[in-house]
Amino acid sequence: MTLLYLSQLNVFHGANHAVRDLDLQVEQGEIVGLIGANGAGKSTTMMSIMGAVKPRSGAVVFDGQNITGLPPEQILQKGIAPVMEGRRIFPSLTVGENLRMGAATVSDKSLVAADIERWCDFFPILRERYDRPAGNLSGGQQQMLAVARALMSRPRLLLMDEPSLGLAPLLVTEIFKLISEMRALGMTVLLVEQNVRMTLNIADRAYLLNLGRVEFSGTPDQIRSEADIERTYLGGGQVQKPSATPTAS
Amino acid sequence: MRNAPTRSLVSKWSTPVILMGMCVLIAAFAIARDDAVFLRVVTVMFISVLLTVALQTFMGNSGLGSFGQYAFVAIGAYASLWFGLSDQQKRVTLPDMPITWWIYKQHYPFELAIASAAILTAIAGAAMGVAFVRLRAASFTIATFAFLIVVNRVALQWEEVTRGSRVVIGVPRQTTIWITVAWACAAILIAFVFKESSIGLKLRASREDEDAAASIGINVKLMRWIAWTLSCGMSAVGGALWAYFIVQFTPNNFYLHETFLIVAMLVIGGAASVSGAVVGAIAVALSSEMLRQTENWLNTQRNDGTSFGNLLPFQLIGFTEIVLAIVMIVVLVVRPSGLLSGRELRWPRGNSQPGVTDLAENIDEA
Amino acid sequence: MGSISDFVQYLVSSLSVGGLYALMALGLVIVYGISQLVNFAYGELIMVAGYGLLIFGRSWLPWVIVAIMSVICAVIVALGMDQIAFRPVRNASPTTMLITSFAVSTLLQSVALLLISPRPRAPRLPSIFVQSAEIAGIRVKVVDVVALVVSIVALTALQLFLRKTIVGLSLRAAADDFTMTRLVGVNANKVIATAFAISGLLAGIVALFWIGRIGQVLPTVGFQPVLIAFIASVVGGLSSIKGAVLGGYILGFLTIGLQTWLPQDVNAYRDAIMFAIVIVMLLVRPEGLIKPAFSRETR
Repeated sequence: MTLLYLSQLNVFHGANHAVRDLDLQVEQGEIVGLIGANGAGKSTTMMSIMGAVKPRSGAVVFDGQNITGLPPEQILQKGIAPVMEGRRIFPSLTVGENLRMGAATVSDKSLVAADIERWCDFFPILRERYDRPAGNLSGGQQQMLAVARALMSRPRLLLMDEPSLGLAPLLVTEIFKLISEMRALGMTVLLVEQNVRMTLNIADRAYLLNLGRVEFSGTPDQIRSEADIERTYLGGGQVQKPSATPTAS
Repeated sequence: MRNAPTRSLVSKWSTPVILMGMCVLIAAFAIARDDAVFLRVVTVMFISVLLTVALQTFMGNSGLGSFGQYAFVAIGAYASLWFGLSDQQKRVTLPDMPITWWIYKQHYPFELAIASAAILTAIAGAAMGVAFVRLRAASFTIATFAFLIVVNRVALQWEEVTRGSRVVIGVPRQTTIWITVAWACAAILIAFVFKESSIGLKLRASREDEDAAASIGINVKLMRWIAWTLSCGMSAVGGALWAYFIVQFTPNNFYLHETFLIVAMLVIGGAASVSGAVVGAIAVALSSEMLRQTENWLNTQRNDGTSFGNLLPFQLIGFTEIVLAIVMIVVLVVRPSGLLSGRELRWPRGNSQPGVTDLAENIDEA
Repeated sequence: MGSISDFVQYLVSSLSVGGLYALMALGLVIVYGISQLVNFAYGELIMVAGYGLLIFGRSWLPWVIVAIMSVICAVIVALGMDQIAFRPVRNASPTTMLITSFAVSTLLQSVALLLISPRPRAPRLPSIFVQSAEIAGIRVKVVDVVALVVSIVALTALQLFLRKTIVGLSLRAAADDFTMTRLVGVNANKVIATAFAISGLLAGIVALFWIGRIGQVLPTVGFQPVLIAFIASVVGGLSSIKGAVLGGYILGFLTIGLQTWLPQDVNAYRDAIMFAIVIVMLLVRPEGLIKPAFSRETR
């Protein structure tokens, strides 16, 4: 079943045509990668799904409903939760308060309490630092908090924007492991990443963006087999060693 | 379009000519009409033009809001008394000033007294400016506002230099309409030249993005400081002219109400251009005078108990301010860059780029 | 005995005045933290509540009801301000917002001037505002004790609200990162409206004591309190709630202390000194005594 469907999306930043005629589909239970270089339009796509940027034309359809142009607060209520670039946790709130903010749209208090328990079990560090200001957490811990906070709204689709950005290589591996674990939880994930290699390791399918257009889409194997892509995006500079299956701890 | 450069140069420099022409025309009209009340209104209006242009020189180019201008208007007004009055006059006007003071002996001709007051005030402004230019946005505005209060309270207490809270008396009325229009024109020219100078250009670049401007090597603080000092000096001239026109005042004549009026003029006209300042000042000054006369007329009707007057439930006080405040809010909401949207008046038209935009430009951000 | 009694009196007045100043500063800071708006028109909320006391006080209603109605008026006007004037300029620069609030302030003052009177009017006040009481042999003003208690109750209630309720958490979260708060599903307009409502509530409470103290209300009655709120919040930290409270109490102790011990002719310069301190504070420590623990990333 198709959970998210973008059709002929066009987004402008002032005069800059950031996203061009973008078509994209995410099926229930999939992890879909949205990859490409800096400035390819990945984050803009994500912002327009979240309603933070209004597309010039095209449609965003979630679970059969047209959600194009709705304000962010309503989009979240439809069941899409973002994990923003730079984590964007609330630094002066405690870890626990951050989690409660994640569930701002959930009115059932016992449900919120149960979810907090659940994610604190999943991320033990959050329980350990529960009453500390979130700003005191390390980068990797903040990323976990950001994910947990997004999960608190009981979303059906998790949008993740550059979760590995600015993290140490070891933590990057951790984070990708975490994302692949989301699949086991039955979560659907749209992952925006510059780290192409790692993304292809965990994704079911991926879209490669270049200058606002989808240049290629398909399974990781199909993408890897494209010689051009290999050269352009996977050739140099990536420090992470490719590991076919992330090992569980 | 090969001959465009000369044409656009003419067009560019037509701005101060148009603005000064407007002022001179209004002055000539007022003199021709020879109505004492109207003359008075127009004279005060030119002082407002001067002050609004002075504020524009700083606020319009830097994008920072100053509520402290009237502190310098006050300093300029009182300083012009120190420099401009003879010692006999000082004995009447500033009786508490010790005769041993150096300033007590100074007595310059009118124009020189104004210039001295402007220089003194610019020095004071420069000294404060060193501190102020380090601040950003809201902090800057609060600091300048705090300075306004400091100057007001000190002026009210320091009887030696200001006569304290008592009304200053015995100042000769030396300001004429021609003197004010001349100074207003000079201010327009100075403001325009400054805006188009490389300092003005750099400052306007920093208005959009201070960090970006700094990153391309613009010393934003220095540019601000220069504009600030210039603005203080110009404000002082306005204060001095006003002092020798109104001739009776206290430190409380240089306070919130007056600050509001000048800020309103600038915001309504559009802070980003000199034309906006001039048009805003003229429009607000004339329309608030009309409102005030209407207000007075209505109140007279009511006091006389005419049938129309009896319909009024109460005395109209502060009606002018209400209209002005509402207009200002509407402008800020609907047309945040003011009536002229940061454009300069030009002839021939065309090619007039909106001045890089105004203070409130990033409306659709977020 | 005398000196102990003097000291207790000083302590009680300082704590009571400081508590009120803290509430004043909080009303300013709670809005600033979220929207970067320095609300000049905050003093006019105090004026509104003051005229509420005057107008409702003419009825037969008991004073407590009159007071509650007046506070409600301040809340309504605060919400109206936000709705009509500030919401449309929300994304403009802080300078534009400040100028807008200056216009709103002038507008409300002029409306009061037009509709009521430029002259001071004395509202009906209960006798507690003039009574003194003897507690353990020490004479204190009843109103000081009431103000002290009310301010502590209000501060505690606010603190609980900000820590325990989801709306309170949203307010704090929005002060950290406004966009992200919207992205977790919180309605931006509601959060800001809540901040204004709290600001109005605090102004209303302050007004009861401020006007009770001076015994009269006039269009410019809000000016002095807004200046106090400025000083306290700049000293404490414009974007810190703790800072506002601390700044308020410091200012309270300072004001009463200067009044008690400073010679009269120096006292005339008190405001000038206070505002010179504001300027110095902005220059030396622009974030105030209590700086936010984490600088905001998106502003």
